[in-house]
Amino acid sequence: MIRKELVAASAEPMILALLAKGESYGYAIIQEVKARSGGKLNWTDGMLYPVLHRMEHRGLIKSRWGESETGRKRKYYSLKKDGKTAMAKHHEQWSLVHSVLAGLRKEKYV
Amino acid sequence: MSDLEKSIAEWRKQMLAAGIKVPAPLEELEIHLREEIERQMTTGLNPQDAFTFAVQKLGPAHSVQNEFMKVDKTRSALEWKLTEIGLTLVTILVPLLFGGIVLQRASFIDMTAAEELSSLAALAAFSLLAWSGRLGHRLLPVIQNKRIRDAIRFSYCVPLPLWWIVFLNFIVPRHDFTMGEFLVAFAWAFFTPAGACIGLNWGIETAARKRSAPAGF
Repeated sequence: MIRKELVAASAEPMILALLAKGESYGYAIIQEVKARSGGKLNWTDGMLYPVLHRMEHRGLIKSRWGESETGRKRKYYSLKKDGKTAMAKHHEQWSLVHSVLAGLRKEKYV
Repeated sequence: MSDLEKSIAEWRKQMLAAGIKVPAPLEELEIHLREEIERQMTTGLNPQDAFTFAVQKLGPAHSVQNEFMKVDKTRSALEWKLTEIGLTLVTILVPLLFGGIVLQRASFIDMTAAEELSSLAALAAFSLLAWSGRLGHRLLPVIQNKRIRDAIRFSYCVPLPLWWIVFLNFIVPRHDFTMGEFLVAFAWAFFTPAGACIGLNWGIETAARKRSAPAGF
């Protein structure tokens, strides 16, 4: 299980990256994150929505009410321009953290 | 109504009681809940077990609400910033304007040097009192509950206009003030208590905003 702090910190970049592929809705976002992390990134489902609302308020994403194929009401979220910029920034920072860790690890085993 | 619908209605009540707002957030959460229940039922769970599982995954109402409250907080952060800019301008411009009039000794004002000094002191007290709250917020308690902060604001600042009315309607007419004396009395009666009122509010609001708990997931 991944630590709570890391789950919280990675939520925004992950949502942004997911929405960059196209619009989506809460339930699908959670399922996809779970699937991609092999079930190791387990969000408390209810916590996703406040994060989505906060991102929407900050102008990173926008939402619209729509319907699923079966006629169920759904709220779809999609990326806005500021969201793309934020995603690039996140990507840069997480890559840096990753490369530092990977570099140190490599040196350790040389 | 089926048992499942009854359970969902009960869950809605709990969410509402925790303060989750209708329609938007609660509706979205309910759609999520129903989707999860359906999914669990396709894996063979009975409706009641699927419901229990889905509710557990969604998390306790109060912690979801806590997270939503943080969204509201960021929303009000901008308003607060504008308020602070307004307060800064008022606490600088009012003394400058009024002090300028006093120092200019416009022809209609007949002031002695002592009166001039006294009214300038009142203006300085206004600004200092207002800013002491903002700068000294660490000395003030952190009151998270906005209602309590509003109550303090109300009880502290409502007497102020009442005092102004008493001053203008009952105190001033009883004295035969010269223009200079009137200005001195006016400065001390109006600006200084207003500064104290602004200071206290500015202070408890800053304390609550700057020293509240960090965000979580």
